[in-house]
Amino acid sequence: MKVFVVDVAKCNGCYGCQVACKDEHVDNDWMPYAQPQPDTGHFWMKLKEKTHGQVPKVKLEYTPYPCMHCDDAPCMKKSEAFYKREDGLVILDPVKGEGQKDLVEVCPYGAVYWNDALNVAQKCTGCAHLVEEGQLPRCVDFCATGALQFGDEEDFAEEIAQSETMEPEWGTHPRVYYLNLPKLFIGGEVWDPEQDEVIEGAKLILTGTDGLTRETHSDAFGDFWFRKVEAGTYSLKVEAEGYQTVTKDRIALKESYNIGDIPLKK
Amino acid sequence: MSKKDKKTCIKGIGLCGFGSGSNSAAVDVQDGKVVRIRNFRYDKEYTPEEMKPWRLQVNDKIFEPTMKSLLPPYSMIYKKRTYSKNRIPYPMKRVDWDPEGERNPQNRGISKFVRISWDEATDLIAKELKRVYKEYGPYTVLAQGDGHGETKTVHAAHGCQMKLLDLLGGYTLQARNADSWEGWYWGAKHVWGQDPVGQGKQTNLFKDISENSKMVLFWGCDPETTPWGWGGQQASRLSYWFTDIGIKSVYICPDLNYGAAVHADKWIPVLPNTDLAMQFAIAYIWLTEDSYDKDYIETHTIGFDYLQRHALGEDGTEPKTPEWAEKICGVPARTIKALARKWAKEATTIAHSNGGSYIRSCYSHEPARMEVCLLAMQGLGKPGRNQFKFIEWQLFGSNEQMPAPRSEFIPTVKSAYTGWRYTMSPQFLPKTLIPKAIQSDEPLTWYGQTMAGYPREDQFIEYQYPIEGGAPIHMIWTDTPCWTTCWTGGNEMIEALRNSKIECIVAQHPWLENDCLFADIILPTSTKMESRDISVDTLSGNFNHLFYEEQCIEPVGEAKSDWEAVCEVAQKLGLLEQYTDGMSEMDLIEKGFMESGVQTKISFEEFLAKGYYMIPTADGWEDDIPGFGKFYQDPKQYPLETPSGLLEIFSQDLADVFPDDQERKPYPQWIAFGESHSESLLHPKSEKYPYLIVSNHPRWRVHANLDDISWLREIPTCKVAGPDGYLYEPVWINPVDAEKHGIQSGDIVKLFNDNGWVLGGAYVTERIRPGAIYQDHGARLDPIKAGEGDRGGANNLICVSNTVSKNCAGEVTSGFLINIEKCDLDALKAE
Ligand SMILES: Nc1nc2c(c(=O)[nH]1)N[C@H]1C(S)=C(S)[C@@H](COP(=O)(O)OP(=O)(O)OC[C@H]3O[C@@H](n4cnc5c(=O)[nH]c(N)nc54)[C@H](O)[C@@H]3O)O[C@H]1N2
Ligand SMILES: Nc1nc2c(c(=O)[nH]1)N[C@H]1C(S)=C(S)[C@@H](COP(=O)(O)OP(=O)(O)OC[C@H]3O[C@@H](n4cnc5c(=O)[nH]c(N)nc54)[C@H](O)[C@@H]3O)O[C@H]1N2
Ligand code: SF4
Ligand code: SF4
Ligand code: SF4
Ligand SMILES: [Ca+2]
Ligand SMILES: [Ca+2]
Ligand SMILES: [Mo+4]
Repeated sequence: MKVFVVDVAKCNGCYGCQVACKDEHVDNDWMPYAQPQPDTGHFWMKLKEKTHGQVPKVKLEYTPYPCMHCDDAPCMKKSEAFYKREDGLVILDPVKGEGQKDLVEVCPYGAVYWNDALNVAQKCTGCAHLVEEGQLPRCVDFCATGALQFGDEEDFAEEIAQSETMEPEWGTHPRVYYLNLPKLFIGGEVWDPEQDEVIEGAKLILTGTDGLTRETHSDAFGDFWFRKVEAGTYSLKVEAEGYQTVTKDRIALKESYNIGDIPLKK
Repeated sequence: MSKKDKKTCIKGIGLCGFGSGSNSAAVDVQDGKVVRIRNFRYDKEYTPEEMKPWRLQVNDKIFEPTMKSLLPPYSMIYKKRTYSKNRIPYPMKRVDWDPEGERNPQNRGISKFVRISWDEATDLIAKELKRVYKEYGPYTVLAQGDGHGETKTVHAAHGCQMKLLDLLGGYTLQARNADSWEGWYWGAKHVWGQDPVGQGKQTNLFKDISENSKMVLFWGCDPETTPWGWGGQQASRLSYWFTDIGIKSVYICPDLNYGAAVHADKWIPVLPNTDLAMQFAIAYIWLTEDSYDKDYIETHTIGFDYLQRHALGEDGTEPKTPEWAEKICGVPARTIKALARKWAKEATTIAHSNGGSYIRSCYSHEPARMEVCLLAMQGLGKPGRNQFKFIEWQLFGSNEQMPAPRSEFIPTVKSAYTGWRYTMSPQFLPKTLIPKAIQSDEPLTWYGQTMAGYPREDQFIEYQYPIEGGAPIHMIWTDTPCWTTCWTGGNEMIEALRNSKIECIVAQHPWLENDCLFADIILPTSTKMESRDISVDTLSGNFNHLFYEEQCIEPVGEAKSDWEAVCEVAQKLGLLEQYTDGMSEMDLIEKGFMESGVQTKISFEEFLAKGYYMIPTADGWEDDIPGFGKFYQDPKQYPLETPSGLLEIFSQDLADVFPDDQERKPYPQWIAFGESHSESLLHPKSEKYPYLIVSNHPRWRVHANLDDISWLREIPTCKVAGPDGYLYEPVWINPVDAEKHGIQSGDIVKLFNDNGWVLGGAYVTERIRPGAIYQDHGARLDPIKAGEGDRGGANNLICVSNTVSKNCAGEVTSGFLINIEKCDLDALKAE
C-alpha cells in the first residue's frame, strides 16, 4: 500500500509540486485515470501558504495539500464514481464522474474540482499512470528538498509513527502523512532601554491555561521564540539577573504573535 | 513524424544565456508536441561511482549531491513559453512605417503591425542596412545584443547580429554594463581587485562554511529566488544544511524575502539602500570596543586610518554611532551593536546572490567596498570568514568562482557559440546612456567600457560617443527587446525610441513583448525546443555535465532561430558564407564537442548515443584552500590584483584619477545624496516621495522572461487580481503604511515619482517593513500612456536615469524614492 509523507519543515514554498501537477495533467490525457486538467483553476495539489507574525518576527509556513487518498473515504461513501485501488490510491473515475458537478461537494478536504469544458469532476490520481510504471508521482518527483515523499507504507513506518494527518477527527484515515505541521509561535525581544542594549540570556517562562510551562532564553540579539505553540491563553514571565521581573498576562494567542520589545528596568 | 513518435530530449533550461547552460531537464515529446519536462536523471547512463559524488560531513550529518537535476518550477513548465499566446507567429511590419515615404517614428508603440513574409522582411532589413551604412557611415547601427534569456549555443539567443554588422563595416555596441554587480564592480574592485566582476573568491566555500562558520549573513540575499534563474534549487538544500548543522542564518533585507521566510533565524529589516549607515556603525563598534583584527589590518591592508577617522568622526564628519545609524537605516541601535559583537566573536561569512539594491542602487560602490572593509576588519580569508555566493558558480569558467567541491574540469561549448562576442566595437555606448545618446545632439563622455569583465584599470579611461570619425546611430537592431522593463528610466527610452533620428528599428524575438511594441520590423524567433544544440550544466552545484540537445518539435509558426534569422539577412546581403564560415548547425555542434574538454573522455559518436557526459568530482578537492585563505596565510606570496597586492581601503588610483569626485572618494565614505542623486529619506525630495522602493529580481520570472505563464500567475505572490479581474503585479506594503493611504489587499495602487507611474495590486503584508514598498521588476509592459504610465507594473519605467555616480556609468534600478496611492481606475479610464 502506498503513502505520501510530507515533511512541512522541509518545504521551501517553491510551488513546484503544484505546478508539476499541471505540467503532468494539463493538456495530457491519462485515461483511464484522468482526462486532461484545465489550464487554470484546479489544484489537485494545492500549496497553502500562511504568513506568521509581525515585523521583524515573521515566518512563512507552506503546506502541500493533495487528495488525502483516505482509507475511510467520505467521497467513496457518497458516490460510486470513486474507487480505491489495491495500492491505496483513490481514483475519481473519469467516465463515471462525467456530468456530476455535485461531486465537488462530497470531499470534505476540497480535493475535487469541476472541469467545465470537459463536463467532468476531477481530482488527484496519485499519478497512478506513473506509479504503475514504477515511477514517482510528478509532484514528488519534482520536489528538490525531500519535503514530499511517496512509497510503500512499510518503508515509512518510522515517519508515520511520528506523523499527523489532516482533520483526524473526521475519521477518514488519510494516506497522506504530515511531519512538522505548522503551529503558532510567540516571539519577542528583551532589552535595556537605559543602556540601549539587548539583553542576552534572559529567562522566559511561558505558561498556558493548561498549566503547561515552557522555558527559553533570549539569544545574542535579545530575541526569544516559543515555536510550535497551540492557540490558547498564555502568560509570560521575563527574568534577567540585575533586572526587575516583568510578567505579561492574558496573552490570547490566535495567530502567531510578535509580542514586541520588552524593556527591563534595573 | 509518425503519430506514435515518442522521445525524450535533454535540454538545459536555465535562463542565464551567454552560453552558460544549466538546469538540465528531460523533455518528453510525443506526436510532435512537448508533453512534459522532468528533472534530468544523471544516473541514466553513468553510475554514481563514475561521477564520484562529493560528501560533506559535520557530526553525524551529511550533505551530498543529488542524482537528479534540481529544477526551479519554471524550467519544468517551460513548454508554456514555447506554446505561449505571446509567440510572434510570422514576420511583421508596422503599418505606417514606410521606408520609401513617411516613417512616422512618433507612432512607435501606437500603430499596429501587418504580416509580411520572411522574404519581404529580410529584403527590407538588407535594404535599410545598405542605405544606412551608405548614407551615414559605419557604426550608425546600434546592436542591442546582450541580455539573459534562453541559453543556446549554436542558436545563441543574443548577439548573433553583431558578426554580420561587423562584416558590413562595424556597429555601435550597446555595452552591457556590469548591471548585476554594479557596486562590486565600481567599488569593491578598488579595494580587493577581484576582476572580472569584483566579488570574492569562492573556492571550496561549501566546506569552509560548513566546518568553520558560526553565522552567515544573508545580506541582500534570497537563496530561494535568484538561484532559480541560474542554477536551480541546490541553494535551497544548502540553506537547510546550514541550519541543520547549527549555523545561524541572519537575513538583512527590507523585505522578508523567500529565503528569509523559511530559513532566517533572525531578520533585520533595513530600509532600502541604507546599509551603508549600518556598516559604518558596525565599524564604529569594533573600533571603539577594540574588537577587530588589528594584526590583519596591519599586514593585509593599506589606508585603514582614513576609514577609522571617518567612522569615528575624527575627520570633521559626524561619528557613525549605532544611534546615528538607527535614524537612517531604521534598525535599532541595540540590534546593530548585538550584530557587531556577535560577528566579532564568531566566524562569520557574508552570503549574496549578487546583493540586490544593496548593490544596484545609487552610490552602490560605497556599501560594496565598505563590506570588503568590514570583512577585512575580521580577517578576510580566515577559516569561516569569507564572502559566499549562492549563484553563478564557476562564472567565467573559473574554479575560483566554485564554492562547491571542484569538478575534474569545467566543460565549455564556447567554440560553438554564435552570440554575444565579448569584444568591443570601436564605437559603443554604455547601456545606461542610450536614451541620452539618442536624445542629445551633444557628444557624450564617460569612464570605462563599463562591461562586466573589464579590468579595474579600464575605469580610469575616458570614452566618447560618437568616436572621432564615427557618427550617431540611425538604426537599431535588437534581439533583446526589454530595455524598457530592465534598464533605468524606461520612460525616457520610450521617448528616445520615437526620435526621428532613429529611422528603422528591427526586433527579433520569440514573443510580442516589451520593446517589440516600438519596432518597425519584427522577426519571429524560436525557443530552444525548436532546434538542435549542444549545452552544458555548470551551475547546478551537483556535477558538471555536457549534453546534446536534440530538436524536440518543429518551429512554432514561421519562427527561425536567432542565428538562422541573421543567416537569412546575411543571405540577402550576399554574406552568408562569411557569416557562417561555411559551418552548418551540426558542424558547429561537433566543433563545440571537440573543444569542450569532453572529447578526450569519449568519442563524439558515444556522446551522441548516450546524449550526455557527467564530469566527476576532482580527487583531492578537500585540500583546496578555501576563499581568500591563501591571501590570509601569506599576502606577499598570494597578493591580490590591486596595485599594492593588499586590500586597498584607500585607493591611490582613485585619488589620482578622480581627485574631485565627491561621490566616490578614494576610500568608502558615508553618502546619502549628492550631485547625481537625491534618492534618500534624508533629502527634502522625500517629502513628496516618502517611500523607498524595493525592486527585486522576480521570484516568478527571470527579469522580463516568463510573465505570461498562467500556472504561475495563479500563485498568490505572483499576481494580484484587481477588482477589474486584471492580474496586477503585486505591491507589498506594510499594514502601518497601508492604513495611512486607506489601502487594502487587492486594491489597485499607483506607484509614482517624477518619471511617471506604474500600477500594481496591493498585497498588505508583514513581509515588508514600514517605509519600504516592494514590487518585483520585469513585469510585461502594458502601457496606458506609453512613456508615462503602465498597467503591467513595469517599474523600470520610473527608475532614476542617472547612473550609479558621476564617474560610474552603472545602473540604479532599486532603492529610489516613490509615493503610493490608491488608484481610481474609473477616473483613469475617463482621462
Ligand atoms: N528594477 C530593477 N531592474 C533591474 C534589476 C533590478 O534588480 N531591479 N536588475 C538588473 C539586472 S542584474 C539585470 S541582469 C538586467 C536584466 O536585463 P536583461 O538581461 O536585458 O533581461 P532579460 O529579461 O533576462 O532578457 C532579455 C530579453 O531576452 C529575451 N529572450 C529570451 N530568450 C530569447 C531568445 O531565445 N531569443 C531572443 N531574441 N530573445 C530572447 C527575453 O524575452 C527578454 O526580452 O535587469 C536589470 N534591471
Ligand atoms: N528567479 C530569478 N532568478 C534570477 C534572476 C531573476 O530575474 N529571477 N536574475 C538573475 C540575475 S541577472 C542576477 S544579477 C541575480 C540577482 O541576484 P540578487 O542581486 O541577489 O537579487 P535581488 O532580487 O536583486 O536582491 C536580493 C535580495 O536583496 C534584498 N534587498 C533588496 N534591497 C535591499 C537593500 O537595500 N538592502 C539589503 N540589505 N537588501 C536588499 C531583497 O530581500 C532581495 O530579495 O539573480 C539571477 N537569478
Ligand atoms: S515541491 Fe517540495 S519544496 Fe516545493 S512547494 Fe512542493 S513540497 Fe514544498
Ligand atoms: S481527500 Fe476527498 S477525494 Fe480524496 S479520498 Fe479523501 S474524501 Fe476522497
Ligand atoms: S500525485 Fe499526481 S495527480 Fe496527485 S497531486 Fe501529485 S502530481 Fe497531481
Ligand atoms: Ca518551515
Ligand atoms: Ca526576491
Ligand atoms: Mo544580473
